[in-house]
Amino acid sequence: MTNVLWLQGGACSGNTMSFLNAEEPTVCDLIADFGINLLWHPSLGLELGNNLQTLLRDCISGTIPLDILVFEGSVVNAPNGTGEWNRFADRAMKDWLADLAKVAKFIVAVGDCATWGGIPAMSPNPSESEGLQFLKRQEGGFLGKDFVSQAGLPVINIPGCPAHPDWITQILVAIATGRIADIAFDELNRPQTFFNTYTQTGCTRNVHFAYKASTAEFGQRKGCLFYDLGCRGPMTHSSCNRILWNRVSSKTRAGMPCLGCTEPEFPFFDLKPGTVFKTQTVMGVPKELPPGVNKKDYALLTMVAKDAAPPWAEEDFFTV
Amino acid sequence: MTIQSLDISPVGRVEGDLDVRVDIEHGRVVNAWTHAELFRGFEVILRGKDPQAGLIVTPRICGICGGSHLTCASWALDTAWETEVPRNAILARNLGQIVETIQSIPRYFYGLFAIDLTNRKYRNSRFYEEAVKRFAAFTGKSYELGITISAKPVEIYALLGGQWPHSSYMVPGGVMCAPTLTDITRAWAILEYFRTNWLEPVWLGCSLERYEQIQTYDDFRDWLDEDRNHRDSDLGFYWRMGLDIGLDRYGAGVGKYVTWGYLAHEDKYQKPTIEGRNAAMIMKSGVYDSFADTHVLMDQSFTRENTTHSWYDEGTADIHPSDRTTKPTAINTKDFDNAYSWSSAVLHKDFGRLETGPLARQLVAGGKHGESWQHYDGFILDVFKEMGGASIHVRQLARVHELVKLYRQAEHCLREFKLNDPWYIKPTEKDGRGWGATEAARGSLSHWVEVEGGKIKNYQVIAPGTWNIGPRDGEGIRGPIEEALIGTPIYDSSDPVEVGHVARSFDSCLVCTVHAHDAKTGEELARFRTA
Repeated sequence: MTNVLWLQGGACSGNTMSFLNAEEPTVCDLIADFGINLLWHPSLGLELGNNLQTLLRDCISGTIPLDILVFEGSVVNAPNGTGEWNRFADRAMKDWLADLAKVAKFIVAVGDCATWGGIPAMSPNPSESEGLQFLKRQEGGFLGKDFVSQAGLPVINIPGCPAHPDWITQILVAIATGRIADIAFDELNRPQTFFNTYTQTGCTRNVHFAYKASTAEFGQRKGCLFYDLGCRGPMTHSSCNRILWNRVSSKTRAGMPCLGCTEPEFPFFDLKPGTVFKTQTVMGVPKELPPGVNKKDYALLTMVAKDAAPPWAEEDFFTV
Repeated sequence: MTIQSLDISPVGRVEGDLDVRVDIEHGRVVNAWTHAELFRGFEVILRGKDPQAGLIVTPRICGICGGSHLTCASWALDTAWETEVPRNAILARNLGQIVETIQSIPRYFYGLFAIDLTNRKYRNSRFYEEAVKRFAAFTGKSYELGITISAKPVEIYALLGGQWPHSSYMVPGGVMCAPTLTDITRAWAILEYFRTNWLEPVWLGCSLERYEQIQTYDDFRDWLDEDRNHRDSDLGFYWRMGLDIGLDRYGAGVGKYVTWGYLAHEDKYQKPTIEGRNAAMIMKSGVYDSFADTHVLMDQSFTRENTTHSWYDEGTADIHPSDRTTKPTAINTKDFDNAYSWSSAVLHKDFGRLETGPLARQLVAGGKHGESWQHYDGFILDVFKEMGGASIHVRQLARVHELVKLYRQAEHCLREFKLNDPWYIKPTEKDGRGWGATEAARGSLSHWVEVEGGKIKNYQVIAPGTWNIGPRDGEGIRGPIEEALIGTPIYDSSDPVEVGHVARSFDSCLVCTVHAHDAKTGEELARFRTA
């Protein structure tokens, strides 16, 4: 039995909703087949009021062993570091969190808010939000840079807005079945298995990317979304086009530019005027290029690619 | 006469953190306060941002009805930018919203609501043993199927928008996608799967066609008696058990109801305006006053907000949402005589406090107001009148009654797509004021946007939770859930499951509420920032 407690801070419940979309395994399978015991969850847990407060205190005292603490949502510190703008079970959520973090064997931050602070932490960050161990790309966050949970690991970060259900279930199962040591983490404590490749990996519009054929405006079945519509697929670490969303698609496949939501900088440029769904360019060249590509090579590639582009690269590619 | 005060923190399973205080006398609730305990400040964040920032930010207000927020954000900019929206795009937006709601209904019913029917309070009911078999958390037969299959409808959302939750595929001027025949065929298959694996065999115990013959409460009772499959379906079983344990006897509320109307007509709203919206909705807008038994149209200009009992320093006047200058109180001490919630009190300038949600939509659907071609359905209004008004039970029936109708609307969208016609007409960005509204699964949702100098000057949201969970207003009148709690019997004050029933019958979504009343001035906020 692996005891899991799932709490939400400055959250929208989007990660919970995403989690409930899991199919292999389903949320019910996790409990029936993988020995996960969900002690409580804001949307699924049975207890209310005092009964829940008792359960939380039993976790803190060790009466109930807390194997995995899953946190969704940002850590709200407002006003003035007190956390009173997010009270839960009659207490500032951040105080519960501080106590529970001391006893949890593993801590899993699910979604951008819990990992980096997310949308609430966008300028001007009125709720003084931060992630569990990061604020955007800056290490530290609520628990501090050097924090490790009882099992000796820092907070396991599963970013994304929301996190993909399979990313969540697979990490929970890996812990429950004693396989977590097999998983390597990147410098942002993200499991590499999901975040080593780019969103672009597996994108059905890759062939358009290769020939520099652009989707000029929305509602088109052709073209790459990187050149004009601000797609961050080539620069974003995620497996969205390998492990499809809702089993059927991804944003870029459907025609929506990747917003880079697994990276700490999301939402990029703080959504300043002129930056939404528009590629930022300097003299016609995208300001940000895929990692490892320099501007000179890019210019050369563009020339060759455009020259080599077959006529179909500009046609309605995924036709009716 | 002892009055016992019970502070319930949290109520749980209401999508967000709802706290309730109830005063109990002789085993019944005699007074109640609902309070929202989280402030994130989304509207503050949106100030000064790109006009389209709402398309990215507002779905993240609520991961449960993000598609509804996206719809509002898009229509708000459509009206501000005076766009033209092609019919394919209107259908694609509608379909996204419909499948989000179809997902929400079983997820809500099994995951949030029906679990409580296994509470030991009901162990003496003749339905109890069967309720445990069906509805026990995680292991109940219907629970497991219902929760698992609720993931299916939103696969259709993903075919249009790439993922659910949190896509931004709806944009002013249309949608980003251009589905192919493959996508549409898959979507049909997903709908069919949902119908043949759960909706008909498990939920209804009959075909959609048979269910659609039900027009009155008498018809419904006849349907229940007609066939063992009807009685033993989850709907039939729930209805009988609910009556047995008295869910029809409390949870009434304010007796007045609001809906913004739902699903833009694909041919009538291609040049959207704020004023033209009511005449272009398939499911009509309206206010139903059950005391006078009258129906009238709802208009955004009737909306007022009051923050007398909320944690904002904004005075005590009723003001239109777009006129708010929200100033959060730095110290949000709970004071039940004064301020006790981050939610504001929302009012209709003439009708006062209104309940929103599926019950409101269905009571309005029974009105003869509106356009002749708009959706009409008198079933729930008849049940409401026959049963003597609202209750937990009627609210549940109204919620699930929408399933079949929405299923039919989803089929309509799939039939009406013309795959080679446009999905998007590029608009010209401009300054202006816009308003977008819709019905989320749990009620009326609307966004007001003001674009000035190419950026957002003001963004305001009123969510279903704001209507229902709001605290007392300037005149001390209770909010809808507070009012609905009055008279609730409490069997065991250490496990006040009845309070949960009432609160959850609204499917109140706190995660929206908490953001919806945020500060307007960056200067004010600077005082509270330490980061």
